[in-house]
Amino acid sequence: MDGDKNTLLAVLQLLRKYNLKSTEDLFRKEANLTDITADDNQQTESEVNSVLSAYKSEGDPALYEKAYSELKKFVEGSLDIYKHELGTILYPVLVHMYLELVYNNHSVEAKQLMEKFCGNLEEYYQEDLKKLSNVTKREQMAGNELTDTFKSNQFIIRMSRDTLSILKRHLQEKKHSVLLNIIQEHLYFDMYEGVARNKQQIEATSGAIVGEATRQDNKAKVYYGLLKEPDIQCIPPAEEEEDDTAGTEGDKPKKKKAKKDPLFSKKTKSDPNAPPVGRMPLPNLKDADKLEKLKALREASKRVVLGPDSLPSICFYTLLNAVHGVTAAEIAEDSSLLAVGFSDSAIKVWSLVPQKLRLMKTGDQLQDINKEAEDVLVRMMDDRTAETVRSLYGHSGPIYSLSFSPDRNLLLSSSEDATVRLWSLHTWTCVVCYKGHLYPVWSVRFSPHGYYFATASHDKTARLWATDSHQPLRIFAGHYSDVDVVQFHPNSNYVATGSSDMTVRLWDCVTGSQVRLMTGHKGPIYSLAFSAEGRFLASAGADHRILVWDLAHGHLVAALSSHSANVHCLSFSRDGNILVSGSLDCTLKLWDFTKLAEEMTLEDVNVSHNPDVKTCVETYLLRTFATKNSPVLTLHFSRRNLLLGVGMFEAS
Amino acid sequence: MSESESIYGTTLSQESMKVIAESIGVGNLPDEAAKDLAEDVSYRLKEIIQDAAKFMRHGKRQKMSMHDIDHALKIKNIEPTYGFFAKDHVPFRFASGGGRELHFVEEKEIDLNEMVSMSGSQTWPKLPLEITLRAHWLCIDGVQPTIPENPPPVSKDAQKLESVDPTSKLSNKGQSMGVGKPGGGGKSKKLRNVETVHVKQLATHELSVEQQLYYKEITEACVGSDEARRAEALQSLSADPGLHEMLARMCTFIAEGVRVNVVQNNLALLIYLMRMVKALLDNPSLYLEKYLHELIPSIATCIVSRQLCMRPEMDNHWALRDFASRLMAQICKNFNTSTNNVQTRVTRMFSQALTKNNQTHLASLYGAIDGLSELGPEVVKALVIPKIKSISERIEACIEGPGLSSVDKNGAGHIKTLLVKSVAPVLKTMRPPPDIVEEYKLDYGYIGPTLCAAVAKARTQPMALTTNVVSATTLTTNQQQGSSNVGKTMMQTTENISVTGGSPGQQQTGRTIMLGTSRGTGGSTTTGGQKFVILQSRSQTPTTPTTNPNPLQQSQQQHQQQIKFAQGSTGQQKQHISNSAPKLVVVCMATNNHTNTTTISQAKSQNVFSTQQSIERSLSPMEEHSFQ
Repeated sequence: MDGDKNTLLAVLQLLRKYNLKSTEDLFRKEANLTDITADDNQQTESEVNSVLSAYKSEGDPALYEKAYSELKKFVEGSLDIYKHELGTILYPVLVHMYLELVYNNHSVEAKQLMEKFCGNLEEYYQEDLKKLSNVTKREQMAGNELTDTFKSNQFIIRMSRDTLSILKRHLQEKKHSVLLNIIQEHLYFDMYEGVARNKQQIEATSGAIVGEATRQDNKAKVYYGLLKEPDIQCIPPAEEEEDDTAGTEGDKPKKKKAKKDPLFSKKTKSDPNAPPVGRMPLPNLKDADKLEKLKALREASKRVVLGPDSLPSICFYTLLNAVHGVTAAEIAEDSSLLAVGFSDSAIKVWSLVPQKLRLMKTGDQLQDINKEAEDVLVRMMDDRTAETVRSLYGHSGPIYSLSFSPDRNLLLSSSEDATVRLWSLHTWTCVVCYKGHLYPVWSVRFSPHGYYFATASHDKTARLWATDSHQPLRIFAGHYSDVDVVQFHPNSNYVATGSSDMTVRLWDCVTGSQVRLMTGHKGPIYSLAFSAEGRFLASAGADHRILVWDLAHGHLVAALSSHSANVHCLSFSRDGNILVSGSLDCTLKLWDFTKLAEEMTLEDVNVSHNPDVKTCVETYLLRTFATKNSPVLTLHFSRRNLLLGVGMFEAS
Repeated sequence: MSESESIYGTTLSQESMKVIAESIGVGNLPDEAAKDLAEDVSYRLKEIIQDAAKFMRHGKRQKMSMHDIDHALKIKNIEPTYGFFAKDHVPFRFASGGGRELHFVEEKEIDLNEMVSMSGSQTWPKLPLEITLRAHWLCIDGVQPTIPENPPPVSKDAQKLESVDPTSKLSNKGQSMGVGKPGGGGKSKKLRNVETVHVKQLATHELSVEQQLYYKEITEACVGSDEARRAEALQSLSADPGLHEMLARMCTFIAEGVRVNVVQNNLALLIYLMRMVKALLDNPSLYLEKYLHELIPSIATCIVSRQLCMRPEMDNHWALRDFASRLMAQICKNFNTSTNNVQTRVTRMFSQALTKNNQTHLASLYGAIDGLSELGPEVVKALVIPKIKSISERIEACIEGPGLSSVDKNGAGHIKTLLVKSVAPVLKTMRPPPDIVEEYKLDYGYIGPTLCAAVAKARTQPMALTTNVVSATTLTTNQQQGSSNVGKTMMQTTENISVTGGSPGQQQTGRTIMLGTSRGTGGSTTTGGQKFVILQSRSQTPTTPTTNPNPLQQSQQQHQQQIKFAQGSTGQQKQHISNSAPKLVVVCMATNNHTNTTTISQAKSQNVFSTQQSIERSLSPMEEHSFQ
């Protein structure tokens, strides 16, 4: 009750702040807050201020350097097994000491402290330290994203019980009030039983802005299994399917057939890890969707099984004459359409198949069509308007992301102008403009089942929408910086986000809560991909590495570093055997994911025990293919496992 | 420490603040204010740039653009700086004066009237091209096809590294794993695992069946009689990215081909082979240094060989020499390093020939001068000009002297033309303006007056020719070198060449081209219209591949070709040569025989051989000199 009241007060204060008089009055009346006087407001205001002044301390600036160097000496002098874990507190302590000094107007000392000690910290912290060191005045602290994050959040450090007790003993001995204050207020120790971690283990998961994930963060159960496929195989068309496979049996080796069958049967069996049916309400399949599914299955039966000995063929689409103008590219699920977004806010859609792009007939003409006809969908379209490429105009800023709906009738685009637009690929016009984000929308994704879509924005939130609603259904708030990329889990129950705060998070669409927090990236994340069976998540970004996560417990499984520039696209082959990554360094690399997953299952994994992170690039890297000065924008496996890539040619 | 200082806390200077303040009308900004302002502005700027970096990354770029800054300003709710657009980076200009140093962005004022009045002319900016989509196979079943759309399998840098350090190829097998060769990858890896004995790995140069086929097709087309096919083959040689592996064989083919055809005096084939060299040189994905030991002797042979054709008085072997000289110059320019000293050695070879002026055959002399003059004005200045007098004595004897063969006269005439053409521009910069015929005559002997006229002419047309003086060619050889090391230096470069001697077919071992002594002998026996079998070092084919199986047909074709030559010529006459036989012009070049006009009319009077398409730069003076 008390908490409720406080919230109401905060709202009231906000209304007052923006001078929304009538709303305020209404609000007072409804909430029976008429008796609240200005005094109370005053009080709450000062509370807000007290948060800001968390750094107020009367410490002598000279003490900081001494305290820090003693801490450093202690860490360096401690036993080898504890050394690395103890070392993890050096970075947050330095950051907060610096901020405290700056806050208390000791800029010179702050600068000295930073210059003296920053060099000894890990390489991946340097970027943030550099950003931090730009802040040299108290006034600049307000409104700076990084300092705000540090100020208002505790830095999380995982530590074994032994290490922590050693640290505590040391702190009690030394009694540096400065250090004690910082550790008490700004650091949070997530203690665990067991042996202290070694350097590699620590490095694997450190690097995020607010430290590591606590164990609590990843305890929730995640239904990472795939949904039961609707039984289109059982109803009449299934026979057709049978016929089809029987027909192809002749010219294909027996072994392949045997392999193929479990592939289908697995889908029909219910996965123990799959979410209960109806957990997330999904749109019912229309007849057209069923036909489409059937087509997909038929195509899948002709799929080449990939592996280290049978590598895919790659068809690469190069965009010519687009000097740095391409900002996004996306290929439809059935590989028939390619959408490209440009920095001049235009969108172009190419047809990659002989079938051209047609306009829908006008209303009058449509009335003449026999609605009972089987090919009514074809008849709807006007053949005279067939073209191989069509443009969509409507945004007023660079297009950062595109996504086709599963039935390929709709296209979503997100742009710098803070809007998301839904385009009809029948009429080739904009259908809806979703305005909800306040800042550029970096990423948009259709749910694999259609209807829902998710967005990620500079405003630090990711949102879940339904195509028929102007308002977002869920707002996923929790990231400390831009949410750079969003990706739907194949079962549509979860959404994964990657952010500039260097964390990957998994959100439950049903409850709206965060169910996984995964740290380990050392830079913003620009690409996410779920493995075919839904258990693993691959992420990559500005640290040029590809990390693979096990969603069962949120563990880091592998860290693959081989690229030399930002990685902007990841894709799993349809059979899940190969992971492919494409980067701005004009290469794409094929990784042996089967091997990775196999080695992973051999290890005993549970919630508390983090498996060894695999970093051996030679074992998993199958091939590297270089393009000719064309950064890779998107990668896509066709239903038959042909790899399609899109890049823009940059004249050297 | 200094490094970290440069990273942490760099700020704009107070002076900048004051200048900016002045520019908006605030004079006398106090120091204190300027300091505070500088700090704050620097902070804000850094913050904006950090935000702009986000836009850059989401735009999938590695270079920041103006728009990124605009967008960053926009999310901070600041009015963007509308109207500033730059396609690429904006270079800062530097200026100093009055004790002030200034960096500024140059902005040209555009006169709109001028723009409008020029409407329709070429000065209008071109419309941007339509964005198009092009599909190609980046990889087929894990193998990257070597097509122009894909990057070359072995980058030029890697080829360069390999030529410097051959062991690099053996050691980093793992790195090249990704690049994938047909049949490589998994298979060979398995094999290596089984092998328990440690055997030193050999660098293999296997060619796939396709590559062997390609090699056969290309070599046949290059020396065959079908001009269209040849053009295609040369185009392929000069553009295809995947030739690296075949390069060794191509070079051997050329070297062998030159060796055989020089003996046979088969001018046409020599030209074809040189065109192949040219194509290989032009291929942007190939690094030829490893094969220069084969190419340079071959090219040198084509420049200075005493006889390159069957009828020296008729055939235009001069054009071949010119063309080969340009190739040599291109090689020197591309591959000269302090360790291989290609240019020094080549220069030395040519200058030896000049020192022995009186023993060298006229054709060789021409070649030597030609080769030197292509190497640039500095070389001409140091090595050719001091020799002019002795050369001109010799050509005087040939031209004016009675009872000499037309061959000699012809040769002397060509040397004269060449000298005038190449020396005049250099003389123009060397000698002070008043060109007095007597002085020239004194300094340069017989050729003096002609040179004088040419220089005078060059002075009147100011621009075009002076441009070539820019490139200062390094010149390390000493022209006066003792003859003791002639043999040695020659051996280095011309070892492999067996040159036409008194008796054809005789393999000369220690002999070098330059030292050919007997000048009167009629050269080799005529070989008729015979086509030559080019021996190749391909062991897998037992039968020596003949480029064309039917000898009868060949001879016919040969005749036809020769007839073509004659048709192509325009039969110009030389001033000083009594021989009025039509000249055969084989390579498109200047056959300007008017000794007093050096450059202008060349474009008009060039004779075009029927095979001109690709070799051959039209010899406008500008282009020719761009070689140097």
